[in-house]
Amino acid sequence: MSVRLLALIPVAVAINLALSATVDAVGLPLFLDTTGTILTTALAGPVVGILTGALTSAVNSLRNPTFWPFVAIQIIVALYAWLAASRGWFRSLRTAVPAGLLLGVIASVTSTPISYFVFGCSTTGGIALTTKLGQLLGLSNLGACFFGSFLSDFGDKAVTFALVTTILHALPRRTAARFPLALRAIGRAAASP
Amino acid sequence: MRRLHPFTLLALAVALPALAWILPAPWGAAGTLTLAAALLLTPGASPGITTAKTAALSAAPFWFFLYLLHGVGGMVPTGLRLSTMIASFVWLVAILPPARLVEAMVAAGWPVSVAFLFSATLQAVPALHERAQRLVDAQRCRGLATRGGPLVRLRALRALALPLVLSALHEVDERALALETRGLVAGARRTPLAPPADHRAEQALRWLLALSCAALFVWRIA
Repeated sequence: MSVRLLALIPVAVAINLALSATVDAVGLPLFLDTTGTILTTALAGPVVGILTGALTSAVNSLRNPTFWPFVAIQIIVALYAWLAASRGWFRSLRTAVPAGLLLGVIASVTSTPISYFVFGCSTTGGIALTTKLGQLLGLSNLGACFFGSFLSDFGDKAVTFALVTTILHALPRRTAARFPLALRAIGRAAASP
Repeated sequence: MRRLHPFTLLALAVALPALAWILPAPWGAAGTLTLAAALLLTPGASPGITTAKTAALSAAPFWFFLYLLHGVGGMVPTGLRLSTMIASFVWLVAILPPARLVEAMVAAGWPVSVAFLFSATLQAVPALHERAQRLVDAQRCRGLATRGGPLVRLRALRALALPLVLSALHEVDERALALETRGLVAGARRTPLAPPADHRAEQALRWLLALSCAALFVWRIA
């Protein structure tokens, strides 16, 4: 791995974790904690994305250990982002937002078993309350847990994909040129083999 | 306790939650939580009562939400397991400085790039978090509305997140140059300044913990 990519990973992990401050400022029910993972995958490929996701979970676990079991979700997000980058889904918001919505479904399907069996769906206040709402609507415990995860992940991943697309398009040409995969992700040029 | 090798502290913090989930609830998890609480409260083994309070405050919301969703019967086993996990990790973070863990990783022959990733991330996170807060303040001073309808908030989010991420990416080149200057290339080895002592008894303890978890897991699923 090149030194540039080695320097990129800690920055991307910090992006994953520091965006919570901006989310708090605007008061939206979002996490944006996979932004750095998706961005590095689009910039530098799946290995860097997976390392970013795993390191995010490890570092976040030092603040809140309940994040560690969700490391698998970060890896799935990185793999999906690689697919999205390869297909040029970051070309525009029209392609990025539906791709993000699909990731929201995938993430909620994969996070539900972890949330249900490890945490009893009590991972965050928002998820616990929407799970309770699902129970009140007559869903089974597992169904209510999926309902809670789905409501939190669906919008979050769509906004994350839209944000990453905006960032990729706003990258200065000199910076983008150092990450040839970024150009392919936004459909400007094919990456060299 | 503080003098134990970082890998031993890590093994203890990982083994206790693993056992909490492997052993039958609620007594198994109650036992592991007792051990984790003992680590938190033992004089000289933990930074003090503040750490125990941090663990208790972190675990409290889970108990509340578990009660809300599953009642008392469902709350107790999961609550005990989650509390073990939280207490173990809060204890680990309080007792093990990251720099000491990095020294142990380098001394154990891990690639210096892995040690760098870990330590650089721990430094980068608070720095970027602080910058994010400064950006929020600066944009608000310029009249950015962060409250209102969803579209207003999303526009504000873009105005806050974009400069933060772009400025962070801009630093990557500077960091890469600094790393190259310091000779951080593939296969590079470093000599740790103060490698933690790793006694045979501690190595045996780590193996014992790993084998116990594996054996109990097999016993539970058999």
